[in-house]
Amino acid sequence: MSSITMPGWIEPYLSVVKGEASRAQVAQLLRQIGLPVLGLLTFIFLWHIAAQRIDTSLGKFPGPSDVSQQVSTLYAEHKAGRAKEKAFYQRQEVRIEDRVAADPDYVPVRRDYTGSPTFFDQIITSLITVMCGFLVASVIAIPLGIVIGLSTSVHAATNPLIQLFKPVSPLAWLPLVTMVVSAVYVSDDPMVAKSFVVSMITVSLCSLWPTLINTSVGVTSVSQDLVNVSRVLRLGWAEHVRKIVIPSALPMIFTGLRLSLGIAWMVLIAAEMLAQNPGLGKFVWDEFQNGSSQSLGRIMVAVLTIGLIGFLLDRTMLGLQRWLVWDKQSAQR
Amino acid sequence: MKMILELSKVGISFETPRGSFEALKEVDLKIGEGEFISLIGHSGCGKSTVLNIVAGLLQATSGGAILDGKEVYEPGPERAVVFQNHSLLPWLTAYENVELAVKRVFKGKKSKAEMREWIEHNLSLVHMSHAMDKRPDEISGGMKQRVGIARALAMQPRVLLMDEPFGALDALTRAHLQDSLMDIHRKLGNTVIMITHDVDEAVLLSDRIVMMTNGPSATIGEVLDVPLPRPRDRLALADDPLFNRCRQRVLQFLYEKQRKVQPISLPIDSKKKNKKEERKHG
Amino acid sequence: MRMSWGKLRTAAKACAAICALTITSLSVAEVGYPEKEELKFGFIKLTDMAPLAIAYEKGFFEDEGLYVTLEAQANWKVLLDRVIDGQLDGAHMLAGQPLGATIGFGTQAHIITAFSMDLNGNGITVSNAVWDEMKKHVPMKDGKPVHPIKADALKPVVEKYRAEGKPFNLGMVFPVSTHNYELRYWLAAGGIHPGYYAPAKGDTSGQLKADVLLSVTPPPQMPATMEAGTIYGYCVGEPWNQQAVFKGIGVPVITDYEIWKNNPEKVFGVSKEWADKYPNTHIRVVKAMIRAAQWLDENNNANRPEAVKILAKPNYVGADAEVIANSMTGTFEYEKGDKRSVPDFNVFFRYNATFPYYSDAIWYLTQMRRWGQISDTKPDSWYTETAKKVYRPDIYAIAAKELIAEGKVKAADFPDFASEDGFRPPQKEFIDGVEYNGRTPNAYLESLKIGLKAKDKM
Ligand SMILES: Nc1ncnc2c1ncn2[C@@H]1O[C@H](COP(=O)(O)OP(=O)(O)OP(=O)(O)O)[C@@H](O)[C@H]1O
Ligand SMILES: [Mg+2]
Repeated sequence: MSSITMPGWIEPYLSVVKGEASRAQVAQLLRQIGLPVLGLLTFIFLWHIAAQRIDTSLGKFPGPSDVSQQVSTLYAEHKAGRAKEKAFYQRQEVRIEDRVAADPDYVPVRRDYTGSPTFFDQIITSLITVMCGFLVASVIAIPLGIVIGLSTSVHAATNPLIQLFKPVSPLAWLPLVTMVVSAVYVSDDPMVAKSFVVSMITVSLCSLWPTLINTSVGVTSVSQDLVNVSRVLRLGWAEHVRKIVIPSALPMIFTGLRLSLGIAWMVLIAAEMLAQNPGLGKFVWDEFQNGSSQSLGRIMVAVLTIGLIGFLLDRTMLGLQRWLVWDKQSAQR
Repeated sequence: MKMILELSKVGISFETPRGSFEALKEVDLKIGEGEFISLIGHSGCGKSTVLNIVAGLLQATSGGAILDGKEVYEPGPERAVVFQNHSLLPWLTAYENVELAVKRVFKGKKSKAEMREWIEHNLSLVHMSHAMDKRPDEISGGMKQRVGIARALAMQPRVLLMDEPFGALDALTRAHLQDSLMDIHRKLGNTVIMITHDVDEAVLLSDRIVMMTNGPSATIGEVLDVPLPRPRDRLALADDPLFNRCRQRVLQFLYEKQRKVQPISLPIDSKKKNKKEERKHG
Repeated sequence: MRMSWGKLRTAAKACAAICALTITSLSVAEVGYPEKEELKFGFIKLTDMAPLAIAYEKGFFEDEGLYVTLEAQANWKVLLDRVIDGQLDGAHMLAGQPLGATIGFGTQAHIITAFSMDLNGNGITVSNAVWDEMKKHVPMKDGKPVHPIKADALKPVVEKYRAEGKPFNLGMVFPVSTHNYELRYWLAAGGIHPGYYAPAKGDTSGQLKADVLLSVTPPPQMPATMEAGTIYGYCVGEPWNQQAVFKGIGVPVITDYEIWKNNPEKVFGVSKEWADKYPNTHIRVVKAMIRAAQWLDENNNANRPEAVKILAKPNYVGADAEVIANSMTGTFEYEKGDKRSVPDFNVFFRYNATFPYYSDAIWYLTQMRRWGQISDTKPDSWYTETAKKVYRPDIYAIAAKELIAEGKVKAADFPDFASEDGFRPPQKEFIDGVEYNGRTPNAYLESLKIGLKAKDKM
C-alpha cells in the first residue's frame, strides 16, 4: 500500500471510487451525504410547492427559483455599485485638480464613496458590527465571570442583577442605548458612526449573559482536587487563576461564547431593523418598506444569508474551540 | 532516629447540616525521618482526613501537626501529595504537569536546562520517559498515577503523602508500581505516609503500619512494626513467616477488633454527600 | 506678510458670509467653499424625496463640492431625532416638522428650512369595503364618480360604523404632517370631526371629540396596515396610494391637489445650529436641490420617466417602477382602471414650488392651532414671527441668485427677489372654498366651521 497517510474521512470515499467498498461502507456514505442531500432536496421541493400556493399582496411567495434569480440580481447590483464607485473616485480627482488650480492653498481631501451600500456591503457591515459587539461582550463577560465564580460574595451580590438583565430583549434596550449614546458620544468628527456604536452596544448587552454565566459556572466547578494541587504548590492568586481556573473553565467559557455569538447575531439583525443601523437587518427592513414585486424574493435571500452566516459563525467558534480547548468532549457538536 | 513529623492530640469536627460530626479524636503519632508509614482502616474512618491535616489542606479542630518543630497550618510543596485520583491538570502533558510543580519549587534555584533535566529524571524514575508529551486523557490509569508520583517526587518533599496511590489499578500494574516505589524510597530515603486498603501492600512497603479504629471519633487503634529487612522481594516474602505474621496481625485488627457494625452503605453515602458540600464551599 | 494674508482671507470669508446672509445685498457675493464636504441626508421612502435623489444621481451635489450620502429612515420621528442629534446633516421633512419642533410641539428643537421640496403629491385612500359603501353617496357621471369626492360621502359610512360601535380608524403619517392636516381639512369640510389635541393636558393622541380616530403609521406600512384591517383608510404620499390600487386592497378617493390646489408639501430641513455653523454648505445644498427640482419639471415633465427609474431603485423609494410612474408621469389611478390625468399631481419646480413662503408656514401654524396642537390663542404677529424664524427665503435667494449668475437657471423662473415679501396672494382654491390669507391667520381660523377659534382653549 502507499505510504502516504490519508485523513480518515477520505478512506470510505476512496474505497467507493476504487470499487472495493463493502456494503457497510456504502451504507455509511449514504447516511453521511445522502440523507442531508435528501433533506435539502425535500425542503426545496416543499418550499417550491408551498411558495406557489401562498399569495401575498406583493405577488406569490418567492420560491427557490425567484431566490436564485434575486441572488444574481443582487450580485449584478453589487457590480454596478462598484463601477459607480470607481467613476465617483475619478470624478473626485478631476474636481480636486480643478480646485487646486483655482485655489492653490487647498489641501486636497479625498472623500469616501457616498453611494448606497450593496447587499454584500451590508453583510460585511453586519459581520463587523457583530464581531465588535461580541468582542466587547466577551472582554467584559469573561473577567467578570471569573471574579463571580471565584468569590461567593461577589456571586451573591451580582446574581440577582444577572438574572434580572439576562432575559431583556434587545428591543427594550435599544431606545435607552440610542438616547444614551446620542447624549454621551458627541464629537465633531467621530471615529465610528453613532449607529454603529448603538448596534454594537445593544449586541454586547444582550450577548453578554451566556458567557458571563457559563464562565462563572465553569470557574465555580473547578475540581476540588485541582484546587488542592494549586494549594499544595502554593500558587499565588494570579497564577492560580491563570494556570488552574481559566484552563479548567475554558470548555465552559467556550460553550458560553458560542451561545453568546449566536445571540449576538440574532440580536444584531433585530437591532439593525429597529434602529435603522446599516447592515443586513436594515436591508430586510428597507426591502419590506419598498414593497416592490421583488422585495419578498430579496428578503428571502437575506433570510437564507442570515441563516448561513449564523451557521458559519457557529462552526467557526466550534473550530476555534476544538483548536484551543483541551477537552475535546466538550466540542463535539 | 530523628523525628520529622508529630501529630499530637489531633481532633477534627465537620460542620454538617445535621450538626457537628467528629471525625477524628486524639490522634497521636510520631514519625521519624525516612520512615515509610502506612495508614490502614475501614472506608470512611478518617485516613484521608489525617493525611489532609498533615498536608495542611484541612485544619485540625484541636491539637495539630508539627513538621520539623513548626506547626502546619497551610499546604506547601515540602509536603507533596499524591492524590487518590492522580489530580493531573488535564490540559497539560505529563511533562508540563511535572514542570508546573518544578517551576514553583525550584524557581531561581535551578537553571532552565537543569529544570528540564530534573523533570525528565523524575519521569524516568517512574518509567514515563516515553510518554512525557502525552496528555492525561491519552495515557492509562497506571501511567497517570505514575506521573502524579513523579510530580510529587520532583518537588523533593520532606514528606511524601500518598492517598491510596494504587487504589484504582489492576494487580499487575500495582505490583509494578509498588516495586518502583520501594526502589525510589531506597534511593532517596524520603519520609512517606501512604494510605492503603491493601494489607499485603502495607506489609510489603512499610516500616510501620498505623491501624485506625472506625469512626466517628476515629483514632489510632494499633501501630505495627514491620521489621522485615530491606530490600524486600515480594516473591521471597510470600513464604516468609514474619511477613505472614504481620499480615495476620493487620487482618485480625481489621476483621475482628474493628469489624464494621453499621451497614456499609451509610458512611459511603454520607461521604459522597460531604464531598459535594466541600466543593460548594471551596 | 504671510500672517496678514491669512488674516485678510479670513476677514474676506467672514465678510462674504455676512453679505451672503443679507437678502437685500444688491450684488451677489460669490459663495465660499463648503465648510463641510461630507454630508448625510435622511429621507422617507416617498416619491417626493426625488429632488434629493436627482441632485445626487445627476451630480448636482458633487458640482457644489459636496459628498452626500442619502439614507432612508424608518419613520418621521426617527428622521427628526437624527437631524436634531446631528446624525443627519439634513433631511426631507414634512412642512409641519420644522414648525412643530421650533414651537415645541413634540420634540423641541430649532429647525429651519430654506427649500420647499414639492407641491401636492398626497392622496387619501380608503379600503375596498369602505369604498363600496361610500360609492352609493358619490354623484356619478357617465358611470364614473364625479371628482373631487367630498367627505360628505364618507359621513354616512362613519355614522354607520359608529352606530355599530366600531371605531372608525384612519391612518396618517405624523401628528405635524401635511397628511394629518389635509385629512383633517377634508374630513372637516365634509362635516366629520377629526378630533382635537390637548398637549397642555398631556393628550397628544388628537382624538378628543373625534368622529373618526386618526393614528400614526409610517408611510410604507400604510397599505399593509390597512390590509390587516387596523385602519380603514389613510392619507399618505406616493407611491403608497397607487400601491393600494395595484395590490387591489383599496381605492384612492381624492388627491391633495383637489383639497388645496398646489399646496406646499415637503421641505428640506436642517437644524439652526447646523445652518449657522455651515452657511456656505447650506447655500450649496439648496443650489443643488434647486437644479434637481428644475430637472424634474423641465420640458413639461420630460425627465419624469428617467426619474421614475431612479426612484424605483431599492435604495430610494424601491417600489415597482410602474407604481411610481402612475403618479409621477402626470396621471393618477383612482378605482382600478379609472386613470385620470392630473398633470400637477407632483410639482417640483413650477409655480415657485421650491420657494419657502412665509404664508405656507403660517397655513400650517393655523392648522396646528385649529386642531389644538397650539393650546393658546396667538396674535397674528406671532404667526409671522414664527414663520420667519423657520422659513428662510433669504438663504434660498442667495442660492438662486448664484445659480442665475452661473447661468444654470433663468431669473424668470423665480420670484422677483427685490420685491418678494414671502407672502403669496390670498388663496381660494380649497375644497370648501374658504379663502386663506397668510397675513390674517386669526381671521382665517374664525372662517373655518369645525376647529378651535381664538377664544377656545384646550
Ligand atoms: N468536609 C467534610 N465534611 C463533613 N464530613 C466529612 C468531610 N470530610 C470527611 N468527612 C467525614 O469524615 C469521615 C472520614 O472521612 P475520610 O475521607 O477521611 O475517610 P477515609 O478513611 O479516607 O475513607 P476512604 O477509605 O473511603 O477514602 C467520613 O465519615 C466522612 O463522611
Ligand atoms: Mg480516603
